[in-house]
Amino acid sequence: MADLSTQNPTSYSLQMATALLRTNGGTTANLLMPPATGDAADTGQLGIDAPNFQSLPLSPAVFRKLRATMKEGDATKYELLIAAAAVQAAVGDLQLSSADTLFAMAAGVVIDGKLFLIEAKAVSEHLGEVYIYRLLLRESTAEWPMQSST
Amino acid sequence: MQNAKDTFYITLRNRLATLNPARTMTLRGITRPGILAEDAEAPMPQPLLDAFTLRWTRLDTDTQLPSILAQMVCEIHYATAGTQTNSGLNRGRVLEEMDDELIQILCPSSTIKFNYTQTPAVQMSTMLFWSQALFSPATAVRERMERVATVNVFAFQEPGEQ
Repeated sequence: MADLSTQNPTSYSLQMATALLRTNGGTTANLLMPPATGDAADTGQLGIDAPNFQSLPLSPAVFRKLRATMKEGDATKYELLIAAAAVQAAVGDLQLSSADTLFAMAAGVVIDGKLFLIEAKAVSEHLGEVYIYRLLLRESTAEWPMQSST
Repeated sequence: MQNAKDTFYITLRNRLATLNPARTMTLRGITRPGILAEDAEAPMPQPLLDAFTLRWTRLDTDTQLPSILAQMVCEIHYATAGTQTNSGLNRGRVLEEMDDELIQILCPSSTIKFNYTQTPAVQMSTMLFWSQALFSPATAVRERMERVATVNVFAFQEPGEQ
């Protein structure tokens, strides 16, 4: 049976999450996003043209290492907590349908000049309102020096 | 070898666009036919659903001929979770549709090789040709049904070609 009790979402959980992430070493994560006008040429689909990914900064965010896997050949995994307020602002700016689309479009995440690949996504919510996005990241094995922000 | 791989992908993509214009995907901001070369896209945790992913694996060469004959193995990965209208209960049927589309876009099994590093693409002197697809058994991973088809692609290495 459906729960029909009134649950008015407030922005308190959003503000609380933002404040917590900021005070707990809040950093900036940069999503690598495709340019607004994509490359429709054959060369763009064959890896000949540079993809010209744009950096989309999201903050505050907290970045932490997960428990070491200690398995040969396994890349280290990390967790990135991003304030939902920042994600919602980015979704609105890019006129996307949802945060899922935003993360699905991202080719990776750059934090402190290092590239990470998105393995999975989860959310924490209160009264049906998402206040934190959690990304499981894997360290990229391509040791490219990346620009941290635009 | 790269020209052969590029030509193989573009040929299958164009044939798919003609055969089933509805099979599209949106990748890097562009809606395009539902087929991609894995090594030319950003790494993904899982292959895209309802799209064909080309993965190049083995390479053999025959140097005893006047021109080097390269044999490359292309694995074509595809998966589906069915359609939302049918709540995924038609995933077996959708996978079968993808099997059929793949068989059709692989015929005819040859095409003229092009060099796509130049714009417009330059036609080359030789053809590439490929074997019939070998289909692996379908595997079910939670709500996804997946299959891999393997195709041997043959191409002559032309003088000056990298």
